[in-house]
Amino acid sequence: MSDEITATVEQRDGTAVIHLSGDVTTFAEETIQRAYQDATATGARVIVLNFRATDYINSAGIAILIGIITQARRTGQRVRVAGLSAHFQKIFGMVGLTRYAEIYQTLDDALAQA
Amino acid sequence: MTKSRKRTVELYIPSELGYEKVALASAASVARKMGFSPDRVEDLKTALAEACINAIEHGSRQDAEANVLVMLTAEDSRLQIDVRDEGRQAIPADVAVPSIAERIAGQSPARGWGMFLIKSLMDEVEFTSATDGGNEVRMVIHLEKHDT
Repeated sequence: MSDEITATVEQRDGTAVIHLSGDVTTFAEETIQRAYQDATATGARVIVLNFRATDYINSAGIAILIGIITQARRTGQRVRVAGLSAHFQKIFGMVGLTRYAEIYQTLDDALAQA
Repeated sequence: MTKSRKRTVELYIPSELGYEKVALASAASVARKMGFSPDRVEDLKTALAEACINAIEHGSRQDAEANVLVMLTAEDSRLQIDVRDEGRQAIPADVAVPSIAERIAGQSPARGWGMFLIKSLMDEVEFTSATDGGNEVRMVIHLEKHDT
């Protein structure tokens, strides 16, 4: 019943962009974790999670992101989030994720930061 | 005196993760028909998703043979959503507000945001045990003047 998650990693000037497509739910954990490991293996110090092609994020998906941010903080990486709908930007704010990840409207905005 | 008009939609979904999306689509359709704003429709979808996931994972213990009942009752400016499971396991209703700091620090499990989101997004929330067994969550959203 889920739109299966896909995650592709793209390198852009030292930044690793993880493009997510599909539902961000409990079923997405393995895929997102693998993408994060691949992104880290590139040596990127900034990880951008691009949610432009996702419509459904539930609390299990939020927990996965918390796990990614927790790992990133241990290795000194910065996490940026792009492409969220206004609704999910609000949800991320409500749970406090905005204190630990920079939220940008678009991928270009996220990549334009120093 | 004007008689209020009540419309009810009942939906039984299997206790299998992913089927909550069927309920979301139905609830969104009813809410839009009532005139709720796109923002409030999204709030409803998120809250209902969490209620269904709780019912599927905890109430029904993901027994696909068990169903979760989602009942939508539209009346005037009020939409009530009841989510009821068959009660394989009780769902604790009184859960502490999750701490993102604790979760980021790895001091508590990353999950556990469902009830917080339900209570934050809906106008009224009530957790009870159904008379015939099972867990029930009742959520209400009210049509605001700016929604129409």
